[in-house]
Amino acid sequence: MKSRRKRSIIAKKEQRTAYLLLIPAFLGLSFITYLPILAVFGISLTDLNVGHFIQGGTLPPVNFIGLDNFVHIFESPSVDFLNSITVTVVFSLIAVAGSIVYSMIIALLLNRKMPARGFFRAIFYIPYILPATAVMISWWFLFRYDGGLLNYILVSLGLGKSYFLSSADTAIPSLALIAVWTSGNLIVIFMAGLQNVPRVYHEAAEIDGANAWQRFWNVTIPCMTPIIFYNLLMSLVVNLQVVVPALAVTKGGPGKSTMFMTYLMYQIGFRGRQLGQAGAIAFVFFIVAAILAGILFATSKKWIFNEAGDDKK
Amino acid sequence: MNQTANQAAEKMKKMFFRSSIKSKRRNQKIADATTFVIVVILAALVMLPLWWIIRSSLMNSLEIFKWPPQFIPTQWLFSNYVIKPTTFDFWLYLGNTLTISVPCVIFGTVTAVMCGYSFGRLRFGGKTFIFSLCVGSMLLPTMVTLIPLYIVWASFGLTDTFWPLILPYLCGGGAFNIFLIRQFIRTIPRELDEAATIDGAGHIRTLTSIIVPSIRPAIIVVSLLIFITTWNDLLQQTIYISSKENFTMALGLTAFMGSFKTDYSGMFAATALSFLPGVIVYIFGQRYFVEGIVMTGMKN
Repeated sequence: MKSRRKRSIIAKKEQRTAYLLLIPAFLGLSFITYLPILAVFGISLTDLNVGHFIQGGTLPPVNFIGLDNFVHIFESPSVDFLNSITVTVVFSLIAVAGSIVYSMIIALLLNRKMPARGFFRAIFYIPYILPATAVMISWWFLFRYDGGLLNYILVSLGLGKSYFLSSADTAIPSLALIAVWTSGNLIVIFMAGLQNVPRVYHEAAEIDGANAWQRFWNVTIPCMTPIIFYNLLMSLVVNLQVVVPALAVTKGGPGKSTMFMTYLMYQIGFRGRQLGQAGAIAFVFFIVAAILAGILFATSKKWIFNEAGDDKK
Repeated sequence: MNQTANQAAEKMKKMFFRSSIKSKRRNQKIADATTFVIVVILAALVMLPLWWIIRSSLMNSLEIFKWPPQFIPTQWLFSNYVIKPTTFDFWLYLGNTLTISVPCVIFGTVTAVMCGYSFGRLRFGGKTFIFSLCVGSMLLPTMVTLIPLYIVWASFGLTDTFWPLILPYLCGGGAFNIFLIRQFIRTIPRELDEAATIDGAGHIRTLTSIIVPSIRPAIIVVSLLIFITTWNDLLQQTIYISSKENFTMALGLTAFMGSFKTDYSGMFAATALSFLPGVIVYIFGQRYFVEGIVMTGMKN
């Protein structure tokens, strides 16, 4: 009887410590993550303006204007929101597919025994840790039509020059190439996953006479599917929010070919001061991201391989 | 007769076996060499853009655009790195960026360890629910929270200060980092903490004296990730910081790019300089990187 009470006191103490330690997470999850996402819908129904936060401003008080902001962003040709959605989704799909294939290949290569492996691992990771703005400036220079390195390489290979970032047709693929170049973080996660593929499976397959290619398709890939899924999802969420290329270099152009949703939100909300409309853009962005992630989740059951008898933690 | 035949057969078998091992080993060697060559070529390609900026930063403006381009500068003009503070104030921008990222790294890592320990070790009511909220928030795009957060910070009058960029990191430094710490803590045998508990240590004591030293790789990974995130956050820096004396490295570079498009050598020197801090930090922690993530068993 007494010992049970003592145990419950210990459990209570443990619980109290746990809640104390979690205060930062509570604050973060509520005030920085979930509440703002709820609030964004409320904001999108008002005519809130940056001017409302400037002291001594002369703006009339905030009004509730229903769905006007949504109507405006979809109908105004100067906002051209549908273009932004298309541009962002197309960019993300190219960047995600490219990054996954590239980082998987690099991870597979680096997973083999070789001299100076740590050094090469660092080389492929470095683009990820460089300041994104500096990366954009560097690539903007590589992409130049006159005197750019990439056009020199194209000409040397006997191909024609490309306008890259200065043409509406090639701007998106060019930016996706930069995104692929900076996907070092995916390589690390793939490498971690490859090292967790049980050796026994490979050995068993080898005894059964499977060649390297068959082992790759029937052992490595199935064991990696959960990690591929994770990387797909994270890379999708990151690339949908693409904004630095537009902020640092393209400014949404040429034309509106790189007017990404996040950049449009910035333009409308902070350059144009229309926080209400920017909120509407953010809300639609959330829906688009949710739909894409939902599609990924829905198909995942079909292709994610579950190891039979995998012990649940 | 029979015996010799048997012996011969045995010998042949042995020879065949040995040669097959040999040929297998040879194949293996060829495969290894091919992989190595491919990796070297790819690594050179990946590094080419970086070399191109460094090369350009050491040339004069005429040489930069020469056709066909030169891969190595004829004269190494290190003088390009002496940039007038009026155009690109490297030390001011570095100072400002560090004023943001150092507190972010410290607070973010400490709070991530606190939360990760709670999720990884302690028992409390509502754990599964809170943890799934936490993991779920990894999927939520931060872009959606920008406008509401701006409204909050602006109503407190905190625009054009560093606070809106620092304060969020007091809250666990992001769900991914909490998750990483939690996974890492779960790989540490419970017996270690139990021994400490028997010796009379409380939970906090166990955390600081047993857990923290054993999860050092994860702590280093988390601090690097926070450092990179704060260093790269051009959008929030653009939104909150307006006066030039508060400019960060990223803002300074963007402004340079926008206004001094003719001073190419200076701009590339500035770009090359801005690569440095991240690379230096990475070199210090690099050996923990893959290990840190492998050990967390990203599998689940």
